[in-house]
This record gives sequence, structure tokens and C-alpha cells, in this order.
Amino acid sequence: MSLLELKGVEVQFSGFRALRGFDLSVAAGELRCLIGPNGAGKTTALDVICGKAQVNGGDIIFAGQNISHFEEHRIARLGIGRKFQVPSVFRELTVKENLHVAFCRRAGVFANLGISAAKANADELEKLAELVGLKESFRREAGILSHGQTQWLEIAMLVAQDAQLLLLDEPTAGMTAAETRKTAELCKQLKGRHTMLVVEHDMGFIKEIGDVISVMHQGRLLAQGTVAEIESDPEVRKAYLGSGGIRGA
Amino acid sequence: MRRIFISRGHIIGYAAFALAILVVPLFIDDPYLLNKLARYLIFGILAAALALSWGYTGILNLGQAVSFGLGSYCMAMTLKLHTIPIQTGAAGLPDFMVWNNVKSLPWFWEPFHSTAFAVVAGVAFPVVVALLLGWFVFRARVTGVYVSIITLAMLVVVNLVIVDQQRFTGGFNGLTDLADLKLFGIDFDPYSSATYYLIALSLLATLMIGELVVRSKTGLIMQAIRDDETRVRYFGYDVARYQIFAFCVSAGLSGFAGMLYAMVMAFASPTFLSVQISLSIVIWCAVGGRESLIGSALGAILVTGIQGGLSETPAFLNTWMLIMGALFVAVVLFLPKGLISIVQLGMARLAGKKISALTEDEAPLPRGHKLGIG
Amino acid sequence: MTDLANQIITGLSIASILLLVSLGLAIIYGVMGVINLAHGDFLMLGAYAVWLMESALGLGFLPCLVMVFFIVGAIGWLVERTLIRHLYGRPLDTILATWGIGIILQQAIRLSAGAQLRYVKMPDYLVNPLHLLGLDISAYRLLIFSVTIVLVAVTYILIFHTSFGIRLRAVMQNAEIARCFGINNARIYSLTFAYGAGLAGLAGALVSPLKSVSPDMGTNYVVDAFLVVVSGGVQSLFGTVASAGIIGELSGGFAYFWNDTLARALLFFLVVVLIRFRPQGIFAMPLRRG
Repeated sequence: MSLLELKGVEVQFSGFRALRGFDLSVAAGELRCLIGPNGAGKTTALDVICGKAQVNGGDIIFAGQNISHFEEHRIARLGIGRKFQVPSVFRELTVKENLHVAFCRRAGVFANLGISAAKANADELEKLAELVGLKESFRREAGILSHGQTQWLEIAMLVAQDAQLLLLDEPTAGMTAAETRKTAELCKQLKGRHTMLVVEHDMGFIKEIGDVISVMHQGRLLAQGTVAEIESDPEVRKAYLGSGGIRGA
Repeated sequence: MRRIFISRGHIIGYAAFALAILVVPLFIDDPYLLNKLARYLIFGILAAALALSWGYTGILNLGQAVSFGLGSYCMAMTLKLHTIPIQTGAAGLPDFMVWNNVKSLPWFWEPFHSTAFAVVAGVAFPVVVALLLGWFVFRARVTGVYVSIITLAMLVVVNLVIVDQQRFTGGFNGLTDLADLKLFGIDFDPYSSATYYLIALSLLATLMIGELVVRSKTGLIMQAIRDDETRVRYFGYDVARYQIFAFCVSAGLSGFAGMLYAMVMAFASPTFLSVQISLSIVIWCAVGGRESLIGSALGAILVTGIQGGLSETPAFLNTWMLIMGALFVAVVLFLPKGLISIVQLGMARLAGKKISALTEDEAPLPRGHKLGIG
Repeated sequence: MTDLANQIITGLSIASILLLVSLGLAIIYGVMGVINLAHGDFLMLGAYAVWLMESALGLGFLPCLVMVFFIVGAIGWLVERTLIRHLYGRPLDTILATWGIGIILQQAIRLSAGAQLRYVKMPDYLVNPLHLLGLDISAYRLLIFSVTIVLVAVTYILIFHTSFGIRLRAVMQNAEIARCFGINNARIYSLTFAYGAGLAGLAGALVSPLKSVSPDMGTNYVVDAFLVVVSGGVQSLFGTVASAGIIGELSGGFAYFWNDTLARALLFFLVVVLIRFRPQGIFAMPLRRG
């Protein structure tokens, strides 16, 4: 049974149709990659799932619930975590504090008044920092982390959030080759524990981590299949024509 | 490592501060001076309250004087009704109502016969107002400068309404000739040390409450909201609730400060809800350090203390306001985290020496200390 | 019937003053993202400039208007060059800095010109009402009305039909990219700020014969202008004009039934309710969430 299902989703920004009847189905435990040429609507697809963009038509079903008109925080509480393309962490807070904010077990103002910011769940948070190699920087401000470290921190924050579904928008953007390899390792570790939907351009990375790939074009689902199937698909080739082919994208 | 040290520094700082403000009456005979000091401490409460909403949550409330003023009027109303009959006019009416041809006590004045009601109202009324405004503004996801200009607009509007409704509020003159507050058998004469202690303890309690909030996970989320409020939503928190909470706690504390102020001044007037007061609160916070509760409170005490120590003639006050404006601009430009950041930097340096002896890597970095650049 | 017509004219006259004050505020916010809390004090400076030129130099009212625009504009330019430009990207800090500047201006005037009220004489040829369409219309209010129309038109042309305007809109859309195309952002910003300040000064000069001139006169005007900017949506000139019109008429109408103060309180309440449902203003397009 699929955990996440998008049915004929429409999104418009002042007249521009970013998604035009987009369908997608992701099974629980799967690691799905979402690719497509620039402007295909990949980021919008993630935006619409996590509530950042408004749905103008169609349905988004997550774990049996129609979430298409939920507010962002309700969607997050149902178990959907989002990593943004431009890494967004709380730069003035320490790594530990970042993880603690993400570690959302009780969302209420008054429930959290009784929890100490310094002491609660310190061990668990430290383990998480260790998972992404940030143990050394545990008590440092996130603002001083390198680009790659910031990306990992954000991934760790999604894990802290204990989201069932992780939406990762270009987790390797701007990373060095070594950092990309480390990120691929990280994704493999999380595979199985979390369902993941990853938007990526780097085909090497996708081959490393992905099973099934969905290809988007002009706001629609164009093709779906394994890496080999996608690479030989004539429709996909046509869509990528002019942008240097799928390898160069 | 840094955290532990800073919180130890914090405890020492707080203990010294508490001791200092509590022993003051032992060395001061002059009741006028004591009264003046009590006023400065009240400003400390106000500044700490603003630090909670502005410094920790990023809500720059330019209309904080609304809460302060409403609190002071609640207290003044009950004290007015407790004055001896000569001052209260015919048929138990406050004097200004008699002058304004009001025939009977308006319904919303009635409950203020009870001091307990007034004390509760002085906190609850500003909180309700903040709750309403906060609901409209934060639910609509209005943030940043918009919140600032809306709160400033509210301040001006409320001030005008109070001046305008002379029959019920005493208009421009406000509520004057108030009785002393009598509570638990103690007469809180504005010039007595009892009043001073009440205020000093209130300030300490405010700082305590504030620290408990900011050190809880709720406080952590407030700071995360200050940093990037959109991001916080995607972790499952209803951001508006946290903002409304911070806004209301700040309003409640300011209302409480307003009640104390009406007691100490023995009047309440529209000047308590003036743009000048609101501006002053922001200046105190900025000078002391808006991201520190005690820093803000010290900023208020320091600035008003210097002002009061120099002179209080109108001509001087005008020059002083000019200096304050310039100082304010300078602090905004060059020292966004206020004077306390210098202290913290110094403490972090000291701690740095100790710890770097152990391991180079763990040397604490001053928290968010970026001089001049933001 | 004439009652209603008079009421509408009163509303229009309130609206035109409101628009004059809001225009500068909205332009500065729209282009630079800066809420200028010293705007009211620029207005006050304009009023004092007229008072000084009229009483000390014996200049006529209309020449004063022109000069005030340039004097206050120059002060605005200076403020931008020395202070505001260090604060771009820190919106809350700009609000604070401009507040501080406002206080400095206010106190400087209070210390030099005194705290007492000053009065600017209305020129004789504008005192008598005109008879138009069977109504008595104050000639002075007609002047304000026409100046407002002219200024809105000038602003419109400046933004949409000059090369300065093209660069200005480019900066508004994306300051970074505009810079890459060789547009001097700093120059655009300081000229915009100067223009906005000049407009505020002019507004102050125009209201000075209607009410007394005092160091803190700006506050009330600027608060109304906030309401206009908040409800109109900042990115559109049309929004500012329309919301100044609506707020002016409403406040004229409310004031007819109650008084100025309660009218203002009611308006504030309406604007707060409005933003709950249309946070982006009445006339703005709904944008992408987040």
C-alpha cells in the first residue's frame, strides 16, 4: 500500500501552472528519486506535499488522510519532514539546540514549558549529531558550520523529528565529491527506517542510492522506472533535449 | 562547556544583582531617593518584558506602553475608589467625574471597588488585549516591521481614546490623588521601604519567570522562531501560538509593572501610554542587550539612573532625549546585542583561557557576537 | 444631498493629505524595504521650514512649497547616506535607527525653535471658499487636492516612464541582479529616500496652515499613513492611492457620526481585522505561501 499518493495535483502561481495534474505514488519504506529538467516542478511537488505551496486542485493522501489543505505544522506532525534546497537551519542556535527544536514530540506551548532546553534528551540528540558526523560541533552555533555540515545537520534534524516521510530537495547541491559520497552513505543508512522522496540532479548520486526513479516534465509525471529503464526511455530523452541530456542535467 | 560556564556566570550575576537591589534601602534614608530608585526598578521589569518578546522571539513591539498604561489605570482606578470621601466627591464618585457631570459610577468602574479584582485585571486586561491583537496579527502571519507599525499605531490610538474619554478616564490629567495600596495589612506608601521591597521582589520574580521561560524548550522554540519562523513550522509547531504566548507574557509583565508604577507615582495619566515611554523601553533593551533579560533590566536601570542623576529640569530632559536618540542610533549601528554582549564576551574570553588549556577544539565561542554586522 | 456631497468632499480632502503622507512612506518601503519611522518627523521639518521661511524671510507660501521639497529631500538624502545604508538587510534595525533619527530631529527642533505651537498663515488668496457646482469648497483644500493629484501623476511617470524608473523597478524586483547589470543600487536608494523625505516635507508644508505646528505633530499623521500602507499593500502605487481614498472617506464618515478620535480607533480596528483575512493588503495579488 502506498504511504503517499498525489492524484491530479494542480498548482498555480499567478497564472503559471507549476503542476498540471501531477500523479505520484510512494510506498512505505521506499527511497524514491524525483528528477526532471529545470522548471519541471520538482521543488513545487515537495512544496505542495509539505504545505508550503497551496493546492489548486487534486488530492494529496498521506497515510490514508487527505492533507491537501492542512497547515504546514499539521502536516509536519503527521510525520512529513522537509529538507530545503538552500539549507535552512537556525543559524543562531547551536547544533544541539537545532536538533532539540526538531525533536518535536509535544508541540504545545505549555507542554514545552516544562521541558528543559539544556538537559532534556541530551543523549539522544548527541547520538544524532554523531550519526551525521557533527559530534565535534555539538555545542557550536550552526551559523559557523560549513555548507556540507549544514546540509547534514538539516538531515539529522529530520531524523530527530522522526518523520516517517523525508522530503529531500537536492541534498548534495554545492557539495564536494567527498561530501556527496558521505551524503549517499547517510541516505543508505536512513533507507528502510524512513520513506524518502529525493529531488536530485546528480545521476551518480541517484545510481548510488535509488531504486525507482520518477521523471517530471512540465508539471506532470513523464516516466517511472529503474535507472536503466529511464535512461533508455525515448520520452525522457526528448524532454531533456536541449539541456544536454540526462547525464548533464 | 560554554553553556555550563555561562549559566554559572549567570547565577553569580543574578545573586549579585539581587543582593544589590535588596540592600539598597539599608543605606538610604531619603524617601524621595528610594521612590526614584523604585521607579527605575519598574522600568527594569518593562525592559525585561520587552526582551522576552523582541530579543527572544523577534517581535519588536513598539506599543509596549499600551500594556504598561492599561495596568497602571487598573491600579489607579481601585486606588481612586479607595480615597477618602473628600477626594472622591459627592455620592462616592471620583472628583473628575463630578466635574464632568457624570451622574453615577460607570459599570466598568464598579468592580474596581475590589482591590483583588484590580490586581487581577491589571495583568489580565493587558493580556487579553495582547491576545486579541496577537490572534489577528500572528494568525495572519504578519511579521517583522508590520508588527512593529501595527503595535505603534495601536499605542497612538489607545492613547487618543483615553484622552478623549475624559468623563471616564480623567482625560489629559489622568487619575490623580490616589490612595495608598493596602494589602495584607501593609500600607504601601509610595515613599516607604515596603513599596521598594515589593518592587524589588517583583523585578526579581519577573527575571525568574523570564529565565524559566527562555530556558525551557518553549523558550528554545521562541528563539528558533526569531531565527527563521517558516522553518519552525515544518517541524510541527504552530508558530502563531508561540508568538502569541511570548506577546502575552510580555504584556502581562508590563501590565504588572504599570500597576506598580501607578502606586509609586500616585497617579496614572496618558503619558504612561505615550510613544516616548515605548521608545524608552526599546532604547533600554537595545542599550542593555535585548537578548538578555538581566541585560535589558540593567540597561533600563542604568539609563534612567544616569538621566535621574544628572538633572530633571525640562530643558535638560529635552537635551537628554536628543542624546538618547543619538546613543540609540549608535547602539543599533555598532552594538546590536547591547552592553551585556561586551560582558559576555569578556566572560567567554576568561572561560576560553581555562578550557583551551584542556583542549583547543572546545574553546567556547561568544554566542552570536557579531559587532556591527548582522 | 449637499450634506452628503460636503461629507464626500471632506473625506476627499482628508484622503488627499493622507495620500501625500503615505506616498513617501510607501515608496521608500516598496523600493528599499525600509519602514521609515522618521517619516512623521520629516513632515514636521517641512512644516517648520515653511514657518521659518514665511516668518523670518517673508517668502510667499507657494515658493516655500517648492523649496521645502528640496530642503527636506536633501536632509533625507543625508540621513540615507550616513546611516540607513549601513543597515540594509536588517529591517528591524532600520526601523529602530529611523526612530532614533526621528527623536533627534524632534528634539533638535524643540531645542532650537522651542516647544510652543507655531502658526503658519494661510495666503489671503486661498482663504475664501470657491463656489463650485452649488457647493462652497475651501480654496485651500482644493489646492491640496490638486497638488496631490500632480504628485501622484509625477510619481507614476517617474516610476513607469523614465529610465530612472526602469532602474528603480529593476532594483525593486531583484537588487542583486540589478547590480549585476550595472545599476548603481546605492544611488537609487539614496534618491528614493530623498524623494520620499521630500514628499513628507511637502505634506508637512501643506498641512501647516490647517493646524498648528509643533515638534511632535508628525506622529499622528504617520500613524494614519501606516494604516494606509498596511491595508493598501506596499508594492503598488494604485493600492496606496485606493486605500488612502477609502481610509480618508471612512474616517471622514466615522468622524461625522462620532469624533476624530473614535473614528481613528474604529479604523484601526477595521484594519487589524482586515489583515487577518488579507495580510497582503486589499489590492495585492495573493502570493506563494511561506
